[in-house]
Amino acid sequence: MKPAPFRYVAAQSVEEAVSLLAEHGDEARVLAGGQSLVPLMNMRLARPAVLVDINPVEALAYVQANNGHLAIGAMTRDAALERASAAVAHSNLLIEAARCVGHPAIRNRSTVGGSIAHADPAAELSAVMLALDAQFVLQSKAGSRTVAAADFFQGYLQTSMAEGELLTAIQLPQLAPNSGSAFVEYARREGDYALAGVAAVVTLAANGSIADARLALCSVGPTALRVSSAEVALRGQQPGAEAWASAAAAVKAAVTEAPSDIHGSASYRRHLAGVLTERALALAASRLK
Amino acid sequence: MTESLIGASLRRPDALGKVTGATRYPGDLIQPGMLHLKIVYAGRPHARIVALETAAALAHPGVVAVFTAADVPYNAHGLIEADQPVLCGEVVRYVGDKVALVVAETAEAAEAAARLVKVEYADLPAVTDARAALEPGAPLVHGNHGSNLLYHCPIRKGDADAALAEADLVLEGEFETGWQEHAYLQPEAGIAFLDEQGRVVVETAGQWLHEDRRQIAEMLELPEEQVIVRYAAIGGAFGGREDLSMQHLLALAAWKLRRPVAIMWDRAESMVAHFKRHPVTIRCSWGAMRDGRIVAVKAQAWADGGAYASTSAEVIKCVALFASGCYEVPNIHVDGYAVYTNNVPSGAFRGFGAPQAQFASESMVTRLAHALGIDPVELRRINLYREGSIEPTQHPLPGGVTVRECLDACIKELERLEIRDWNAMQPITQSPIANLQSLTANLQSPIRRGVGIACGIKNLGYSFGYPEGATATVELEGGAEIERALVRVGAADVGQGTHLILRQIAAEVLGVPFERVTMITDDSSEAPNAGSASASRLTIMAGRAVHDAALAAKREWDDEERPARATVRYRAPATTPLDHQTTAGVPNYAYGYAAQAVEVEVNTLTGQVQVLRIISVHDVGKAVNRQQVEGQIEGGLAQALGYALMEHFQMRDGYVLTPGFSTYLLPTALDMPEVIPVVLELGDPNGPFGARGMAELPLVPLAPAIASAIYNATGAWVSQQPMTPERVLRSLREVERET
Repeated sequence: MKPAPFRYVAAQSVEEAVSLLAEHGDEARVLAGGQSLVPLMNMRLARPAVLVDINPVEALAYVQANNGHLAIGAMTRDAALERASAAVAHSNLLIEAARCVGHPAIRNRSTVGGSIAHADPAAELSAVMLALDAQFVLQSKAGSRTVAAADFFQGYLQTSMAEGELLTAIQLPQLAPNSGSAFVEYARREGDYALAGVAAVVTLAANGSIADARLALCSVGPTALRVSSAEVALRGQQPGAEAWASAAAAVKAAVTEAPSDIHGSASYRRHLAGVLTERALALAASRLK
Repeated sequence: MTESLIGASLRRPDALGKVTGATRYPGDLIQPGMLHLKIVYAGRPHARIVALETAAALAHPGVVAVFTAADVPYNAHGLIEADQPVLCGEVVRYVGDKVALVVAETAEAAEAAARLVKVEYADLPAVTDARAALEPGAPLVHGNHGSNLLYHCPIRKGDADAALAEADLVLEGEFETGWQEHAYLQPEAGIAFLDEQGRVVVETAGQWLHEDRRQIAEMLELPEEQVIVRYAAIGGAFGGREDLSMQHLLALAAWKLRRPVAIMWDRAESMVAHFKRHPVTIRCSWGAMRDGRIVAVKAQAWADGGAYASTSAEVIKCVALFASGCYEVPNIHVDGYAVYTNNVPSGAFRGFGAPQAQFASESMVTRLAHALGIDPVELRRINLYREGSIEPTQHPLPGGVTVRECLDACIKELERLEIRDWNAMQPITQSPIANLQSLTANLQSPIRRGVGIACGIKNLGYSFGYPEGATATVELEGGAEIERALVRVGAADVGQGTHLILRQIAAEVLGVPFERVTMITDDSSEAPNAGSASASRLTIMAGRAVHDAALAAKREWDDEERPARATVRYRAPATTPLDHQTTAGVPNYAYGYAAQAVEVEVNTLTGQVQVLRIISVHDVGKAVNRQQVEGQIEGGLAQALGYALMEHFQMRDGYVLTPGFSTYLLPTALDMPEVIPVVLELGDPNGPFGARGMAELPLVPLAPAIASAIYNATGAWVSQQPMTPERVLRSLREVERET
């Protein structure tokens, strides 16, 4: 349970980090909180030749409200996110999901950017980013670009980040007025990866019908999954059990690649996806503001 | 005379070292310069060894030796029956079977060389289901055994068939329990060397110094005095260290090479190679009269013993004996079968067959109560054992039958806590299924709350004629007053605190301060045989031996002997094997009793079961150390909760699917509910100061209490253990479909 030999470089700034990434290409991996990468290295499932540690880059740890957006630095610890007043003000969803990440000891180290860049389909934050229409700021030696969460998650542990790019910031647009949000998940054991998790946002129109809804799931496929068919089904409906049930049916139909493993069968995960969808939507709708 | 030490919650002398990390566990004994062992495992469930090539491994730098079957003087071992090769020469019977032992200067070299041992196998058909293994034509796990039936235990009392025919109500049930992994914190490790007198010394962790010594000496064909077994701090055992795992291989290598050797298993090795709790399938019919008298129990039980005998024969006897629970039933017809398969062997695990049997029996009693329209508590009171009740083996129970007192105290505690909303207290005449329908229609509240109760019985000490005794020596030094008391007793402290308990007993009998008592407990050449740390027996057996030896030494002291010394072998009241014709006998000399109530919440949409509160009532006779008793209850309940809901050791076709803690889920502190321990002190006729064993009892009633609570909450019975969310959900859906 020891990693293969690697070179370790502590970057002091974003500039230094991206120039190291440019120098070492696909031999390099970024070390943020290390809560996923280090176990993978210890089990020798990952063998980077160079580790670029961005922990010294303090400028990347922040949670700020900015012109109606919420800006989160990539090195923000999950523990800091769940306590940040700007995040609390932004959405219930964000805080609830952050609290579902592992245990407090893990959240003290794990980072928002690390979780997103790692792109584990069981990670709560990936689903949250899809549901909140996040934009990711990617920095490289050549410059920076912004990618929408919807275009970011490509496959199991795969993203649209190019070689040499570093995720530096996450931008979340403000929720529309008269919106509510929620994150719910179900794990076999407190603190474990969930068998399924659902992030939901519900926005009501002036007449009380559903103007907009966003739904994204974790743990039920190779990537976090946004379910637009369910969102479309919800629009224009009156909020309530009937609407939630139709969304749940759409979600279950969309969950076609749920994993089957020792902790739960694919059909049970699909079932949970439906149950949790109804629960998340009902909870979100109860929190309109 | 100062205040009594009996009942005092003295702090564990070993606690500080354990929490600061100063304590030396077996893995901490490994010193630079020792040779390292690596075992080559079969990695397949059933195969004939065609060829075994060790040359490449021997040629690897740093390798000192590679041992195979031919190097083992007497190549068989086992707790009861020596049916397991130390190293397999011809056939491998489960994935964790050992075929070669590599010894090298470093652990890395040993590991690398182990991969170079080339074994050519011809796979044999594997049998991995206990009932299928008994079918004619099933592949034989042990060719020379003639069949896969390891042991058959019939129990007959009265005429069960006739009584079932005449009963007002007969209910049938089928129950399944799974393997359970001991999951002790400290994986198997140890060292071995030859001492200055040329004796083989093995320092490791175990549950019975003298039994380890016996098997090791037998393997090396040495007199037992030529072998010394010592225990370092033991990081948990729970029955999983009763069988030899690697101690004998340490001894073999040290003896052959005459150099110090060391081994340390990783978690996966531990989980695949050491023995588990038996999975048991029970089919049963229970008959009762309208007035609530249970008149007959007919049951068949199949226990998967895996590839080797271990203690399977004894476990299946307990399953058979407890198939009717703690109820006096006049007509009993039980057949217990322990079966060889090509699965990981099953052996001892806290409870030793009692939890499996009573998952079925306690569930059946509650089901009978509901079917008869009688309060489940009342039905229990009608049928529970009482003083003088006749056991399934046709003899009266040993004295001190206190299960009724446990149940009464449990109900009192429920009332004190005002847990009133308890449907099970009233006969459920209106089907709870109606509740289920209304609630699934109402998405706002998928959570249903329920309460369940169960009772439990477990034998204390060895059973069925196995000689039961414990020896202790007490030496007193000093002049006018006792300055030092030396207690020698070979009793393993596996974390349960037995050394503290025995020391408290000695100090109390001698009337000396606790600090003046020194314990010698962990060396087979220095401490006499007190038997195993198992069957909840050390407080009663070793405790009684220490008690009696201290009393005898004190008499010598009072006669002005200096030093004063006494050795006492305490023998428990005799038990007997069951008669082959009549199945009559005296199976046990003592029983422990418990009752539990649990409050649960069931999510009817996900199948999740959350235990909110556990009341656990135990008659411990007399608590020698109150805090330690409560600690045993809390720890036992964590293990019981995992067993009931979460711990799902899985094998497919003989291969282990759950070789680590990411796949085999154990409850953590966050999963534990509030625990309310209730300790009754009703006095045991034989135990020291009236103490009686209790360590296994928390594990006995919890799963059926939870199953009853799930039923109370939802109307659905779950009869498969662990009661995973998917299984609970399936049971809920079946109830829905039936309506």
